[in-house]
Amino acid sequence: MNNILLQSFILLNVFIMGILVSVAVRHAYAHFRPRENDEIEKSHPHIQAQSAHLPPAVKERLLQASQAHFQAVLNHSAAELQQDLKSTAFHLNKQLGKLGTDIISDEMKRYHASLDQLRKQTETTMLNAQAEIALHQTEIKEKLTKRQTELETQMAEDITAEKQMLIQNIDTKLADAVASFLTETLQHNVDLGAQNAYLTSMLEEHKAEIIKGVNDEA
Amino acid sequence: MKLRLPDSVASPQDLNALLIEVRQYQKWLAHESIKKQVNVKHISEQPVMSSSIKELFRNYDLKKIIDQHSIESLIETLEKYKNSAPSITLTLAATPTTTVKSTLVSWCRDNIAPDILVAFQFNTTLLGGIVVRHGSHIFDWSFRRQILAAREHFPEVLRNV
Repeated sequence: MNNILLQSFILLNVFIMGILVSVAVRHAYAHFRPRENDEIEKSHPHIQAQSAHLPPAVKERLLQASQAHFQAVLNHSAAELQQDLKSTAFHLNKQLGKLGTDIISDEMKRYHASLDQLRKQTETTMLNAQAEIALHQTEIKEKLTKRQTELETQMAEDITAEKQMLIQNIDTKLADAVASFLTETLQHNVDLGAQNAYLTSMLEEHKAEIIKGVNDEA
Repeated sequence: MKLRLPDSVASPQDLNALLIEVRQYQKWLAHESIKKQVNVKHISEQPVMSSSIKELFRNYDLKKIIDQHSIESLIETLEKYKNSAPSITLTLAATPTTTVKSTLVSWCRDNIAPDILVAFQFNTTLLGGIVVRHGSHIFDWSFRRQILAAREHFPEVLRNV
């Protein structure tokens, strides 16, 4: 919208300046190539009648006075034109500056608004991302801690089981070794005479079992 | 009458040996009886009788009159005894001496059954104690069994030393 107004204003100024330039050119042309008789005759037909009666000096003086007057008018017009042109240019520059300033201000406002919006969106996104990252880190830490605890527990259980198994194996082998040692050592030194009382007491101790076994078999 | 075997006759093998011995004596007695009937003067020597058969004759009340009939009755009684008597097997860590055998057999006949037959075996790996087997029942009270049963306590005992 502002562009259209600016273009319209510039075109209007160009048009006005064209008119002023054409007027100036016309006056300049008339000044440097005058058609004295035609002009005087057309504009002042009574002067033609009088000029025939004026002496050349008067004519010359009138001509010079007319030229001076014309020159003054022309200068005055040119000065006014120049003043108008300057004023127009000044106003035009002022308007253009104002328009540019407004446009730049609007654009800057929009730009700042966009920047603010983008900054807010970015901040929101960053906050969300940071929250998600923090949450993810917390979850990962919890999982790591849980997994570490599980692994430590499992490792402790495995170590304990392994230790128990090794102790059990050592005990079993030791027991086997002791039992083998005893059986190998003692079987060559059996004295039944010394065991006689023991055998009887053993039978006496298990008398009920033997009687029950014999009766069951019978 | 109820036959009570001497403690020296402990196992079925001993009883078989005793039966053989009694039959030999019966055979000799039959021969001598025939000789006596046909007036044969020659009398053959009496078979050597073991202490077991002598004790059996004493227990069976054959001290005064030993004739063919009583011997046959004794053989028949021994056969019945052999077929009906319960038997157990005692396994020891060494070959049992007579004293040990007698003690164990006497105990068995006093406490388990008066007509029981006791067979003895030995196994040196038992180390000591006794294994009693009767039919499908086995009672293992050997030292080896006790050592093996208690072997789990050895490491604990050694740790406490």
